[in-house]
Amino acid sequence: MNKDSQMRAAINQKLIEMGERERLKELLRAKLVECGWKDQMKAQCKDVIREKGLEHVTVEDLVVEITPKGRALVPDSVKKELLQRIRAFLAQHSTL
Amino acid sequence: TKYIVPAGCPHVNGFKVDNWKQNLRVIYQCFVWSGSVESRKRKAKSCICHLCGAHLNRLHSCLYCVFFGCFTKKHIHEHAKNKRHNLAIDLLYGGIYCFVCQDYIYDKDMEQIAKEEQRKTLRSALVDCFVSCGLCDAGVGEKYSTWEPTKRELELLRHNPKRRRITTNCTIGLRGLINLGNTCFMNCIVQALTHTPLLRDFFLSDRHKCEMQSNSCLVCEMSQLFQEFYSGHRSPHIPFRLLHLVWTHARHLAGYEQQDAHEFLIAALDVLHRHCKDDNGKKANNPNNCSCIIDQIFTGGLQSDVTCQVCHGVSTTIDPFWDISLDLPGSSTPFWPLSPGGDGSTLNGESHLSGATTLTDCLRRFTRPEHLGSSAKIKCSGCHSYQESTKQLTMKKLPIVACFHLKRFEHSAKLRRKITTYVSFPLELDMTPFMASSKESRMNGQYQQSVDVFNNDNKYSLFAVVNHQGTLESGHYTTFIRQHKDQWFKCDDAIITKASIKDVLDSEGYLLFYHKQFLEYE
Repeated sequence: MNKDSQMRAAINQKLIEMGERERLKELLRAKLVECGWKDQMKAQCKDVIREKGLEHVTVEDLVVEITPKGRALVPDSVKKELLQRIRAFLAQHSTL
Repeated sequence: TKYIVPAGCPHVNGFKVDNWKQNLRVIYQCFVWSGSVESRKRKAKSCICHLCGAHLNRLHSCLYCVFFGCFTKKHIHEHAKNKRHNLAIDLLYGGIYCFVCQDYIYDKDMEQIAKEEQRKTLRSALVDCFVSCGLCDAGVGEKYSTWEPTKRELELLRHNPKRRRITTNCTIGLRGLINLGNTCFMNCIVQALTHTPLLRDFFLSDRHKCEMQSNSCLVCEMSQLFQEFYSGHRSPHIPFRLLHLVWTHARHLAGYEQQDAHEFLIAALDVLHRHCKDDNGKKANNPNNCSCIIDQIFTGGLQSDVTCQVCHGVSTTIDPFWDISLDLPGSSTPFWPLSPGGDGSTLNGESHLSGATTLTDCLRRFTRPEHLGSSAKIKCSGCHSYQESTKQLTMKKLPIVACFHLKRFEHSAKLRRKITTYVSFPLELDMTPFMASSKESRMNGQYQQSVDVFNNDNKYSLFAVVNHQGTLESGHYTTFIRQHKDQWFKCDDAIITKASIKDVLDSEGYLLFYHKQFLEYE
């Protein structure tokens, strides 16, 4: 593992330990519902299901099709806010 | 329509042996939804892929042995093939994957365990959250789960096959009201109430269970009214029963004279509140402790602080309110200046264009510290004597629906007249500057409000405007209401017409109805 992913892993560990990861997840969830992202994704999923057919579609089909669109459609303001939160958390727990 | 029922698969039978339930619970508790500090520490340290060490990539745990592997990189797939362990669990969401079926499966028993473990974790997380998190505006409580119909509801759905589809431009919920003789003061308020989202949802989901013996329950009549409005009928409705009930319960409004729409609103809310039961099934007669739908939606708390000018001791009272009545420039009480040292800084995106008064100006005036003169001394409990004082009103608790009443009708001893001063009001309103909590900064003369990105709790959207045309003696009420997100309609008794946002914002405004933008579950 290179230095970058080592750092990532360490930060992730800290976030999990302090329960911050769960809080961030909930915050993100709320923000993505508020801005309509969840509804957009739901509509995309329905399209994929219609395309592949209800009987044959798997979760993996959905993940493969939806993930790039989902990532692209997250509003910049939400990304900014989450980043700010993470930075603030890291500043507070500066032993990292 | 075809219903797909989430199903399990036969390949779980190999797993469901011996003490499998407890083992599964342990996996959920330790690695999926870690509730306690130690389990979180353990999760942080051990949840990495055994093949590549990554913690991302949709980590899964084998259900048959202690092995964590990436899903994206197919490390868990390798393990499943090599060891013939055909089940794995997604550590992010708790889903069970079957490598034989090559898809996630939904086994009833396993789903039950997952739900229980998740609920347990959320309860303990709730405490942690409030203790350590200052900024958290995402309420971590009961997990939101999608609605699933009960047997009874499925029956009802089958017996009533007619469905109505709500599209972005459908006019469901719009209906005219016949004027029964100067009853536009009632019609305009009914239009505002039937388009109050939370009230509409309450009545359309049949939440009123009536305990009144007679036929004179106003809440039942309201419920009936919602049925009429959302029936899809396009002909105007004749509200004779409503009028009769109003005459019965609010005698001061009886008769065929034109009445004040604001008075009708308060009287209607009062009767509805009295006829509602609160959540405990008791009659709503305790004004301070009622949780009927009217109180849940309309009741706010107004804080009054009286400060003694000598000892600076503050005496605080909080009173419930259903509306805020605002004085206007042009009345016999002077409007300007708003307060000593007040400047004309912008708030809520409004600025002083050629002296037009704004709603924000009125609210600033309403919440200004007011000097109670030497003729109105208050007995100060600190000084034990009568002293001069200042009084200030601020919002302690904001209602979900805030109604602003612009005091256009002056009924002083000398004159009765209508104040037609134009007051501009916004589509979106931030009540933060008028909160009791913001009072500190206000008293220091800071009118600039720093935008708090994380706090959405005080933001409101306009959804109804009641207007009065004409004079005090002969006038007419109409209402603009908001349908869907950006469509407005003008309700003029029996006639409903499409209106533009400009029409609404340019109108004089008498009663302004705002709805909170973001609602938290309690």
